[in-house]
Amino acid sequence: MSEISAPEKHQVTRLSANVAVMNQYAGGAVAAQSPLHHADFASLAGKSPKVGGVMLRELKLLGHLTLRGQQNNDSFMAGCAEVLGVALPIQPLTSVEKGAVSVRWRSPDEWLVVLPAEQAFDVEKALRARIQGHYSVVNVSGGQTILELSGPNARDVLKKSCPLDLHPSHFPVGKVAGTVFAKATALVRRTGEERWELVVRRSFSDYLWAWIQDASREYGLIVN
Amino acid sequence: MSQKNRLLTGGRIDRSKTLKFSYNGRQYQGYQGDTLASALLANGVDIVARSFKYSRPRGIVAAGAEEPNAVLQIGSTPATQVPNVRATQQELYNGLVCGATNGWPSVESDIMGLFGKIGGSMMPPGFYYKTFMFPQSMWETYEKYIRKAAGLGYAPTERDPDIYDKMNQHCDLMVVGAGPAGLAAALTAARSGARVILADEQAEFGGHLLSSREKIDGKPAMAWVDAVVEELGSYPNVTLLRRATVNGYHDQNFLTVHQQLTDHLGDRAPAGQARSRLHRVRAHWVVLATGAHERPLVFGNNDVPGCMIASAVATYINRYGVVPGSKLVLMTTNDGAYQTALDWADAGREVVAVVDTRAKADGDLVAAVRKRGIKVMSGSAVIEVQGKKRVSGVTVATIDARGERVSSNAHTLLECDTVASSGGWSPVVHLSCHTGSRPVWRDDIIGFVPGKTVQKQLVAGGVNGTYSLGKVLAEGFAAGQQAVQNLGLNSAKCKQPAVREIREGAPMALFHVPHTKPTSRAPKQFVDLQNDVTAAGIELAAREGFEAIEHVKRYTAMGFGTDQGKLGNINGMAIAAKARGKSIPETGTTVFRPNYTPITFGALAGRDAGALFDPKRYTAMHKWHVEHGAEFEDVGQWKRPWYYPKAGESMQQALNRECRAAREGVAILDATTLGKVDIQGKDAREFLGRVYSNAWAKLDVGKCRYGLMCHEDGMVFDDGVTSCLGENHFLMTTTTGGAAGVLEWLELYHQTEWPELEVYFTSVTDHWATMTLSGPNSRKLLEELVEGVDLSNDNFKFMDWREGKVAGVPARIFRISFTGELSFEVNVQANYGQYVWEKLFEQGAKYDLTPYGTETMHILRAEKGFIIVGQDTDGSMNPYDLGMSWCVGAKKPFSFIGKRGLLREDNLGKNRKQLVGLKTRDPKVVLPEGAQAVADPKQPVPMTLLGHISSSYWSETLGRSIALGFIRGGHERMGETVYYPMADGRVIEAEICSPIFFDPKGERQNV
Repeated sequence: MSEISAPEKHQVTRLSANVAVMNQYAGGAVAAQSPLHHADFASLAGKSPKVGGVMLRELKLLGHLTLRGQQNNDSFMAGCAEVLGVALPIQPLTSVEKGAVSVRWRSPDEWLVVLPAEQAFDVEKALRARIQGHYSVVNVSGGQTILELSGPNARDVLKKSCPLDLHPSHFPVGKVAGTVFAKATALVRRTGEERWELVVRRSFSDYLWAWIQDASREYGLIVN
Repeated sequence: MSQKNRLLTGGRIDRSKTLKFSYNGRQYQGYQGDTLASALLANGVDIVARSFKYSRPRGIVAAGAEEPNAVLQIGSTPATQVPNVRATQQELYNGLVCGATNGWPSVESDIMGLFGKIGGSMMPPGFYYKTFMFPQSMWETYEKYIRKAAGLGYAPTERDPDIYDKMNQHCDLMVVGAGPAGLAAALTAARSGARVILADEQAEFGGHLLSSREKIDGKPAMAWVDAVVEELGSYPNVTLLRRATVNGYHDQNFLTVHQQLTDHLGDRAPAGQARSRLHRVRAHWVVLATGAHERPLVFGNNDVPGCMIASAVATYINRYGVVPGSKLVLMTTNDGAYQTALDWADAGREVVAVVDTRAKADGDLVAAVRKRGIKVMSGSAVIEVQGKKRVSGVTVATIDARGERVSSNAHTLLECDTVASSGGWSPVVHLSCHTGSRPVWRDDIIGFVPGKTVQKQLVAGGVNGTYSLGKVLAEGFAAGQQAVQNLGLNSAKCKQPAVREIREGAPMALFHVPHTKPTSRAPKQFVDLQNDVTAAGIELAAREGFEAIEHVKRYTAMGFGTDQGKLGNINGMAIAAKARGKSIPETGTTVFRPNYTPITFGALAGRDAGALFDPKRYTAMHKWHVEHGAEFEDVGQWKRPWYYPKAGESMQQALNRECRAAREGVAILDATTLGKVDIQGKDAREFLGRVYSNAWAKLDVGKCRYGLMCHEDGMVFDDGVTSCLGENHFLMTTTTGGAAGVLEWLELYHQTEWPELEVYFTSVTDHWATMTLSGPNSRKLLEELVEGVDLSNDNFKFMDWREGKVAGVPARIFRISFTGELSFEVNVQANYGQYVWEKLFEQGAKYDLTPYGTETMHILRAEKGFIIVGQDTDGSMNPYDLGMSWCVGAKKPFSFIGKRGLLREDNLGKNRKQLVGLKTRDPKVVLPEGAQAVADPKQPVPMTLLGHISSSYWSETLGRSIALGFIRGGHERMGETVYYPMADGRVIEAEICSPIFFDPKGERQNV
């Protein structure tokens, strides 16, 4: 499965390929809209209170790649490490980060790679060039976004929203867990003592934005 | 009003903070620190309720969660009403408005009282079952009057303005109850570094120490409590939950805790605050330190206001500075209650006598009472109370040593206004029992204690039948140590404080005080005050053959009230046991279920209410739809544009316009919501062949194919177009509502049945924004924006897909059609969805590009006879029923899901309901969906039903109505007439026809 079917400069796809690899990034000329574009965080940030227990920002328009593969496939593990510059975390519920690339463990054979949007296609191509055997790479950049919650009451907001045990003894910095979140889902990662990232699905993002505003109300919400 | 029963000093109230409140429209005053009950008692309010069945006046009996009578309606506005609040647990706040929940028109002069007196004797247990059930049709009428008479509170009549929320909690140790045992356990665990949650239903921690005059380490007990609470508060890993009732103890040490955050401040929460919070706690270990409820004694007219439990009297005196009367008669089976006589006397009021049911009593407290010169009548009992709206006196008689009969005819009449009674203590085993553990009877403490449990649960103090303070503390510390050890932590030192042991004599087991008359003739001896269940009623139930305690409960209604029989159930069970000649352990208890105390619906709903009730899912182009006046339809959780009315247009006019645009010009649909699954792996094709009913072996790269999925029974459950992106790469689409279910289905079969197949599935539903251009002009429009794809019919055929750019954005274009028209489905990464959509409209203006919604989509596809799974199917249609045998690859080498099911005899029958088209005789008449077909409209009911209408519309294209529906054997009945009788008497006549009404050869999509 090493054959790569990168379309040459907008030519018709080479239809004989095993996998249709596609550069889905339109470049800087086209204005992309994140799932929470309509909430207009930029202007909300100006109107936000200066003090509050919870801070929220959207880490938007990043590249998201879902990797599937077997840990006992050396080609897969080595190829990922080489291309990503960091080995896939095999310890369950952990994440690794190097430079602008982060990798979240999702299951024993599934990882989420987050990276700058413009690198997604090159990384996918490079992975496909190096990996043999059974695996998959799927670009899901348009389907999800990342919300960063921080501040002294960020954990309280999460406690209102999901059943995970978020105490440092159970959820240290770097830990990742998928969870029901309100009535949607989120992939939660702790990135600091008081900082958390939620990977959420595009179609649910407005609901979760409304939920987080509500859950933060008693603490004060600062939008960045 | 003066607070005539208020002491000048003492108690934990703040006399400098006067609070005004109203009860039944009259104004009263209390103090900060009062409960509503203590304030009512301070003001000399005797009657707080009329009883359920007999309408007898009732007063406050207890001081805690077990209160059966003082169950009030609270709230000053229609929106903030809270029914059935226990006044004993409601903290007083300034401006509190409350009233009795039963009593019609008022508790003071109750019309039903008259009925009660006449009807009461005619209302034995089972009265409702025996009388009102027949004729059954009249039950609703009876019920209305019974409800009105019986009272109980009413729900708010306006929307609740407050919010309620929930919070998930985790801990090493959950301690339930912050009395001495709970505090000791929590302190021990906290010092050892454990994560501890300590919850207590009261505003202050301390449990019974809040109303005790005992000393710890030589100081008032509350000084020790204050020190412990302060220390606990200093640990970051300790969470202290006040006003937090642990209402349920569920499997795997999951506990639900209802914390009232603002009910002590007013009937509305301060702005921005939740009124209550439901904590969902997952604990590694649990210490139950829930204490015990005092049991009242059951004697004649024991419900007259002024009859209270002894510990409650002590609580009102010591904690609230309220003496609820002037002259006390105390009846007890044990030493402990003597303290109440001392408290009463120390408050400066008269103790008429202590009536001790035991022949001999000589403990420390007994000696202290005798030393005070208080009369003690041993071997005696109060057998009857005098008075109607308040106790005026009691009849005391001597009883035999076992408490079974009155032993002499010489009675003593005592004048008094208060009767305090104590029949001992019932451990609060409720939480332990919630998890399925049955309580165990202990003769030595005369009570049930928690039994064996599979939970990681420890018990300490009163709940364990341990009542003396020193032993309670010891058990608390020991439970804390045990928990620490079980958690694998290093236990820190805790020195147990010194407490003077009080020597007590043995208590007597007495659940039913005898009377000179037989129970059935004696004055009413109440067991369950809230539901008016008497000892005579329970004995009657036993005589009528109700043996199991659960049956006795249901027959008599014992324990069915909002108090769930906390006060009376053990007495009732003991009386039932005795009536059947069985022991108490043989009889057992009824089942204790969550919630421990009633919980408001708001708390259960939490924030999953109003706008947040359920997620609303939006596509990338949602804002555009809103700005362009779309009406929306819910499809699953998605908000999909339904139609786009222009100013002044009716819905049908808008649909007609949208349909014309799609058939004659060009129209566009937001199809993002369709489920999309990326499938990669060398066995992807094989997998598709197994989950779809049709064949996939020969689908070339670059091609798309419609697929049908069946469950094992052969019934269609989803459909959609799947495209071959590469030899080992497919993109599956599913129905909007079925997306999640299909992905789970694929994973289920992959993981459990065919793990050897090398294939991975990834949902890309949210990743792609999908816009479908449909209509003769769609190619012309798209050509203006596309790069890298030749859209000509020769090079881009129907059911092909191509990759290129649309409006400068990388896109996959699928030439598939659900409208039957020339159609291109453009997919771009969703962040560009709105951009490309707008570009299409910029460019499409000259073609009058028309947005259309789900309704027009439904009409257009129905004209083509395309089914919608979930609308035209309901899980009982197989592919043959749908006329889709072309979509069943019976010859595939490997089987497919549903193949065997399709071979079942029933699936092969000719007379199954089959999909057909239906044309009404009158083309203007649109059949209602769901209408049932009959062959003979004159057939008497029940008629022979042939099938139903599943889709029905006005077709603007055809200028007539069209419908899809099911008819038994319909495929062989083309041209026949069927009839659809309507509820209003009309009969709609229709002709069976092909379901393809328009362009039957499919020429339009191939141009």
